[in-house]
Amino acid sequence: MTAAQIRFLSLVRREVNRFMTIKRQTVGAPLLETFLYISVFGAALGSRIKELHGFDYVVFVIPGLIMMAWAINAFANNSSSILQQKFQRAIDDQLSSPASPLELLLAFSMGGFLRGLLVAALTFTASSFLVDIPVEHVLVLLPALLLVGFFFAQLGVLIGVRAEQFDDVSFAQTFVLQPLIFLGGVFYSASLLPEPFQTLTHFNPIYYMINLVRYGFLGYSEANIAMSLGLLTAATLALFALNHQLFRRGYKLRA
Amino acid sequence: MPAALEIVDLVKRYPTGTEALRGVSLRIEAGEFFGLLGPNGAGKSTLIHCATGLAQPTQGEIRVFGHDAVDHYEQARLAVGLSPQEINLDWFLTVAETLDYHGGYFGMPKGERRERARELLDVFSLSEKRDDRTRTLSGGMKRRLVLARALMHRPRLLILDEPTAGVDVELRLELWHYVQRINAQGTTILLTTHYLEEAEQLCDRIAFINHGEIVAQGSSDELAAEYGVSSLEDAYLGLVGRKELSRAHIAAEAP
Repeated sequence: MTAAQIRFLSLVRREVNRFMTIKRQTVGAPLLETFLYISVFGAALGSRIKELHGFDYVVFVIPGLIMMAWAINAFANNSSSILQQKFQRAIDDQLSSPASPLELLLAFSMGGFLRGLLVAALTFTASSFLVDIPVEHVLVLLPALLLVGFFFAQLGVLIGVRAEQFDDVSFAQTFVLQPLIFLGGVFYSASLLPEPFQTLTHFNPIYYMINLVRYGFLGYSEANIAMSLGLLTAATLALFALNHQLFRRGYKLRA
Repeated sequence: MPAALEIVDLVKRYPTGTEALRGVSLRIEAGEFFGLLGPNGAGKSTLIHCATGLAQPTQGEIRVFGHDAVDHYEQARLAVGLSPQEINLDWFLTVAETLDYHGGYFGMPKGERRERARELLDVFSLSEKRDDRTRTLSGGMKRRLVLARALMHRPRLLILDEPTAGVDVELRLELWHYVQRINAQGTTILLTTHYLEEAEQLCDRIAFINHGEIVAQGSSDELAAEYGVSSLEDAYLGLVGRKELSRAHIAAEAP
């Protein structure tokens, strides 16, 4: 292994080690939360709703829950990890190492990305034991999930770097991210909403992410797949480019 | 042979407008034990941060063993080990992990990391604590670990920013002996301290910095001669304009 590979792996290992050290909170809690949603919306409400667009209600909801698990965990991990290290100034150990801004950005991103992947994979595996979840379009599902994970990992890095107190991170998660995810149609089909809410939903970027993932699993979508995938790719690249620029400038990291 | 650290006309202006360094030039030869003295806020830590990538110079040049610390930071940072003024250990890591990750960030292969960590834990009497989390260590142990971490990748230039602030007498003497030994073995050392006897005993040459400028440099005797006094302490008091605090002056004034 080259010195650069060792360096990058160590940077990623530090991020994974952090969330695995506190896995009850970082993996256990999100898993429990997802299963509470499945119980409430699947078992309780689902018995009344029966079918949505030809699918059992719980099956309709699970793709969105998997996406939500990946998104929120990727975001929460990176924003907290970076802010915490900035507080302790422990981040100076990485910043004064020979790692480039790109290596640092990718390594910090990977922590949340991998935590999201772990929670999403465990959610999918465990849900598969409870209900039969189809995977109709794996070639849409995989890039969609990977892009969603990477997008929210980047967003977490951005908020973590900008944040000066923990309130900044929880504000972004509670008042921006979670409402957008919930109103993006995780638990319902936007086509059932009355106007103007149906139209408003189309301005929510997360609506397109949920549709992509739902299409990958169930083969059902309310939005154009190619356009959604294109927009998600463009948004992810733009966010990554912004973060890279901030890391190169040392924005709020180097004095 | 290139200087261990060569700084030319270094200026650091913070976004607030504060000019922490106003055209500092300094040359530390390879193998030297160099002291940087000055009151709080004089610019010592800013200078160190500029040399280690934690602060970005506004203008000027910094070279570490001939490598530009801004444009060719990878080689420059590999050559520097920093023991910062504030203890900045990562709470999520154990003592052994702290050294292992640091070695990884500097590209050391696993076997070499393990061997070097064992050696340093032994030297700094931390072997029994190797699996303890850093937050559980006493203040003295944390200070030792920060120093061990700085030495982990075998830097050719070791920067010690107030390493003995707040440590007990035994640890201070232990640190002195250790750094003297590695200096004799060829490691260049840049020390900032508020303990003048420490600088007098350890350093070949000393520079006084005040208001972001190097105002004098030379051996302890040369500095005393330059200020027309008999000790480094009196020279320092001359620098900060507090000659009335001189021990000789106080003894003469005593009834």
